[in-house]
Amino acid sequence: MEQILLFAPLVGALICGFSWRLIGQQAACVVATLFLALSCLLSWIIFLTFDPDAHANGYYTESVMTWIQSGTLFTDWAIRIDRLTAIMLIVITTVSALVHLYSFGYMAHDENFKEGESYRPRFFAYLSFFTFAMLMLVTADNLLQLFFGWEGVGVASYLLIGFYYRKPSAGAAAMKAFIVNRVGDFGFLLGIFAIFWMTDSIQFDVILPMGAELAEMSITFLGMELDAANTIAFLLFIGAMGKSAQLLLHTWLPDAMEGPTPVSALIHAATMVTAGVFLVCRMSPIIEYAPVAGNFIVIVGAVTAFFAATVGLVQNDIKRVIAYSTCSQLGYMFVAAGVGVYSVAMFHLLTHAFFKAMLFLGAGSVIHAMHHEQDMRNYGGLRKKIPYTFWAMMLGTLAITGVGIPLLYLGFPVGFAGFVSKDAVIESAFAFGPGLGEFAFWMLVISALFTSFYSWRLMFLTFYGEARGNKHTHDHAHESPKTMLVPLGVLAVGAVFAGMVWYGPFFGHTDSVARFFGVPYAEEGHGEEHADEGHGEEAMAEVAGAAEEAVAGTGAADEAETGAAEEAATEMAAADEGTGAEEEHAEAAAGEEAHAMDEAGDHGEAHYVFTGAPGEGAIHHAPDNHVLNDAHSVPVWVKLAPFFAMLIGFATAYLFYIANPSIPGRLAAQQRPLYNFLLNKWYFDEIYDFLFVRPARRLGRFLWKGGDGAVIDGGINGLAMGIVPFFTRNLNRLQSGYIFHYAFAMVLGIVILITWMTLSAG
Amino acid sequence: MTIGLEHYLTVAAALFVIGIFGIFLNRKNVIIILMSLELMLLSVNINMVAFSSFLGDLTGQVFTLFILTVAAAEAAIGLAILVCFFRNRGTVDVEAVDNLKG
Amino acid sequence: MIGADLAILTPEIVLSLFAMAGLMAAVYTSKDGLAPALTWGTALLFVIMAFYIGITGEGSRTAFDGMFVEDSFSRFAKVTILLSAAAILAISQDYMSKAGLLRFEFPMLIVLAVVGMMLMVSAGDMLALYMGLELQSLALYVVASLRRDSVRSTEAGLKYFVLGALSSGLLLYGVSLTYGYTGTTQFAGIIAASGGEMSLGLLFGLVFILAGMAFKVSAAPFHMWTPDVYEGSPTPVTALFATAPKVAAMALFARVVHDAFGGVVGDWQQVVAFLSVISMFLGAIAAIGQTDIKRLMAYSSISHMGFALMGLAAGTAVGVEAMLIYMAIYVAMNIGTFAFILTMERDGRHVTDISSLGAFASKEPGKAMAILVLMFSLAGVPPLLGFFGKYAVLTAAVDAEMIWLAVAGVIASVIGAFYYIRIVYLMYFGEERKGLDGRMGLATYVGLIAMALVIGLGWVPGINLFGIEGPAEIAAAMLTR
Repeated sequence: MEQILLFAPLVGALICGFSWRLIGQQAACVVATLFLALSCLLSWIIFLTFDPDAHANGYYTESVMTWIQSGTLFTDWAIRIDRLTAIMLIVITTVSALVHLYSFGYMAHDENFKEGESYRPRFFAYLSFFTFAMLMLVTADNLLQLFFGWEGVGVASYLLIGFYYRKPSAGAAAMKAFIVNRVGDFGFLLGIFAIFWMTDSIQFDVILPMGAELAEMSITFLGMELDAANTIAFLLFIGAMGKSAQLLLHTWLPDAMEGPTPVSALIHAATMVTAGVFLVCRMSPIIEYAPVAGNFIVIVGAVTAFFAATVGLVQNDIKRVIAYSTCSQLGYMFVAAGVGVYSVAMFHLLTHAFFKAMLFLGAGSVIHAMHHEQDMRNYGGLRKKIPYTFWAMMLGTLAITGVGIPLLYLGFPVGFAGFVSKDAVIESAFAFGPGLGEFAFWMLVISALFTSFYSWRLMFLTFYGEARGNKHTHDHAHESPKTMLVPLGVLAVGAVFAGMVWYGPFFGHTDSVARFFGVPYAEEGHGEEHADEGHGEEAMAEVAGAAEEAVAGTGAADEAETGAAEEAATEMAAADEGTGAEEEHAEAAAGEEAHAMDEAGDHGEAHYVFTGAPGEGAIHHAPDNHVLNDAHSVPVWVKLAPFFAMLIGFATAYLFYIANPSIPGRLAAQQRPLYNFLLNKWYFDEIYDFLFVRPARRLGRFLWKGGDGAVIDGGINGLAMGIVPFFTRNLNRLQSGYIFHYAFAMVLGIVILITWMTLSAG
Repeated sequence: MTIGLEHYLTVAAALFVIGIFGIFLNRKNVIIILMSLELMLLSVNINMVAFSSFLGDLTGQVFTLFILTVAAAEAAIGLAILVCFFRNRGTVDVEAVDNLKG
Repeated sequence: MIGADLAILTPEIVLSLFAMAGLMAAVYTSKDGLAPALTWGTALLFVIMAFYIGITGEGSRTAFDGMFVEDSFSRFAKVTILLSAAAILAISQDYMSKAGLLRFEFPMLIVLAVVGMMLMVSAGDMLALYMGLELQSLALYVVASLRRDSVRSTEAGLKYFVLGALSSGLLLYGVSLTYGYTGTTQFAGIIAASGGEMSLGLLFGLVFILAGMAFKVSAAPFHMWTPDVYEGSPTPVTALFATAPKVAAMALFARVVHDAFGGVVGDWQQVVAFLSVISMFLGAIAAIGQTDIKRLMAYSSISHMGFALMGLAAGTAVGVEAMLIYMAIYVAMNIGTFAFILTMERDGRHVTDISSLGAFASKEPGKAMAILVLMFSLAGVPPLLGFFGKYAVLTAAVDAEMIWLAVAGVIASVIGAFYYIRIVYLMYFGEERKGLDGRMGLATYVGLIAMALVIGLGWVPGINLFGIEGPAEIAAAMLTR
């Protein structure tokens, strides 16, 4: 079954790509889609029936073939199924299947190709090939296989970004994506080499259990003693940064929007860009023992989330807004992974895949309706024209901005998918501790505010207000065909319910998470003890106390908690408008929160801890990692913070784009430098252009003109056009036709030979 | 002074070299080249006989007889070709044998 | 006793008797009227003898006290020689009758030359070597000047004769020194006496012998006769020169260095490597300036002999095997190419100008494709057979740790590729002039197409170079045991 699942997309891609002339375009596309649907069905079966307890260490492998045998490097091509893989399987195949379906409508006509030119089978074949590579990546049983999939998705991404190959910008974007990823891949490769060097293996079942031992080892490099676990984790994360478009290596992702929109939804939102998160989670037994690298991940994730959110505020291209949003959300995931709650990272990955794919597909639907117009300034008032798309986008926006009912807990929190998972990330960040944890917390909360703002801005600009731009286009705006709406509907289900349904396994109590991921766990002392041990600092004592009281079930909200909530609210206010009304809200909600905590306490929260050794189970928590527990007992104001951030963002967006649409223009004029700074994406492209691209180009031109052109070409040409003909002429002149010259040559030859032999023998 | 092997060898070597020089120093007549070739073969014969005698082994002398026979055949063929050439070219000048070159 | 010895020489004796009988018959009957029958009969006899040798021969036998050796190595060489000579006779028939050269002496002289070649490759003694060599050479001197009324043909014969005799003299001088310093002319005796430190006299002998043989394989710097003789001789004779005698001389080379001087590999290895490098480069570079295709093929064969010598220079069984494979492939390529050159004709006259090939492909796409295959193979373009030959010798050189030699070989083959590809370029993209208009006879057509197919398809898995690797390996093992 696993093999069918894995190879079905490849078979589909091959059939579709190579035999569409035989079976026809439409049939080829249908075949590819059906194979993917099969793959999707099998994925769900595996996900739902997978029982980590039934297998040793929570995973099983199925060997496909012997792959490499070279010295001590021995690698089978094998499929490894554990919980992480199972989660990725459903994400990939579900989104991919829906995107295939969606593409029937979206790609039906395309003005980038001439009449009668066939491009659809190629598109579907690329999509299926991408899916295959991505499945290879997540089912990998060793690092090399993972790298194979890693590069495979890179190639597929390159091909699909550059799909409109007549557009120079698309070609440039494809190259940019590929080249920027090379930087990350270089780090990743070094990481693999380092692992092989240290452990003499690249098999997961060998290297993962060695996480703790790696922490003891050190790598000597250029006379420097480097901590092995930290170095490896850092190098692997460099790779993840490239693939997941984290800060410094993020520049390719917005440009990648040059590809067709279904591609953006599949590759650049739901699947490929999350490969980095998957990698970090997969290597959790090593990351856990690399605290420095872990902190680095948190910082990069938090800053990326913040940076991308700020840039998203001012973008006008609908797809670019969503692209920066993706970049930002990936930052959230990395924060979660960095602080050590891999389950939460995967949780956000899962929910994000649904709502972000939906947003992209919805955006695609809008673009489709507006005849490939992508500038939001030319939209407006589309609510009535494309109602289904509007509602889909609305659900997506509600999900990404994190709409839900805070503090209400019915065995699960009530809210859209993004609400549940994003709050989980933010709470985990806070629970990581003061200093870095708080830094990440505030960055994420502010990002949540911005997220809410730009998401609603997108909605308001697109669907509300006056119709702007080309009148003709607006008159002909039409709802998309069924094939495009059905995927939206399916994803909507996920965007609404995914968070609530899977709250327990991903962010529930330690035991439910442990069971889900197949990690051994055991009962232990009360959570508060850990809180006291883990966080001795002054500032935290208060929080711990609050948590203690909440757990103890003191009922009503006490002073400390209210204070905290107020503090949070004040902060918000400082950041933006007055929040008087919401403060009241907070107080009322605080009670409910405490109640929820009470219930949680009754259920025996924190009585369990992860006890799995590295390599046991899909993810690993070090014995001193209590972030998951602590995240449940953060103060109420922490739990409320993202919610209010969302509300403020919404209110601001409403004010700016519905109530008084003149504000944005005036603000931009007033704060011209800031506006330009954001509009130009913090000038990253310009800085890179100055620092790397132009010097590289200069060097390249020098080597080309000077090195290759003058020296090598000149040398070869000189040899070919100058020296060789020179010899040819002289040799032909030597062939004089006179017997005595010929005889003389022979005698000369024998004299040379005799002299040489005599000298070398004597 | 007794005449030893080395004297024979020296004479043979000298004759051989003279033969070779005769081929590429001669700018006059192809016939002289044929003579030089004979000289070379004869110097080899001197070598052979001298070694044969010195080693007390008959092989060298048998070889000499074969060389003489072949040399005769060779001279016959060489002269025949030369005659043909003379008929076509009208001269046996060494420097006239230069139609084919490059 | 003598009966058993003669039995071993059956093929040579049959061929010699056939030559004498043919001469008699022709002289006493219709003279040249018998020539076509004699030509075909000779070709047929060659093929029969090749099969006879290939099928009946086994093991290693010697005759006349080790003077004559019949082993797997000599059989491989003999079969190649006989088949290539037969092919040359077959494809030259047409040309000869058109040119009025269809004389009965031609096939008979070739028979005698082939007998000489067979003696050469079977030689177990310097005397047998000399006799075989001279028998071959004397016959070839005559066929070179077969066109008695042509200045060029007789000049070619004259040059070949003078320089050939000079090389015989060098070889003989070497033989005499070897005889003097080892006391024997038998290869077995020489190898026994020459082990260890070599006396200076023997070293001189070795160098002279190598020089004499280098002339026969036309390795630089003893190659000077080759272009002139190739150009001046009648084209069928050129085709013959390019094939059978080259195989014989190369096999003889291998036999002498391994059988007689196998104990001092290090000494001759340097000489052979030197000859190899010079030949490869000289052949490649000098060919570029040629306008006459026969002259070009002469330089081409010089370069190819350099490559074959590279295999020999390795001094190993693998090297000899590579050399034999290379020679077999080389012969096949040259038969195909000369089958075409023989039919290059304009207004009823034979032309050999390369520029006459301009735009040939538009008139004769099939033949042009065959030439393309052959030229690419000569240049060593994979996956054609020529590449495998080069690959084999390069591998042998690398295995013997003569990396520099292999590198030089690669560079030379790159330079050499130029003029082969120029011919293809001319055929396909050259400007149209008054081109070729000759018709192709059946035999030449078959020769061209068959060789192109052999070269073009020999690499296909399952065909595997037509299985020549196995016999070549056995032959090489026999020689270097």
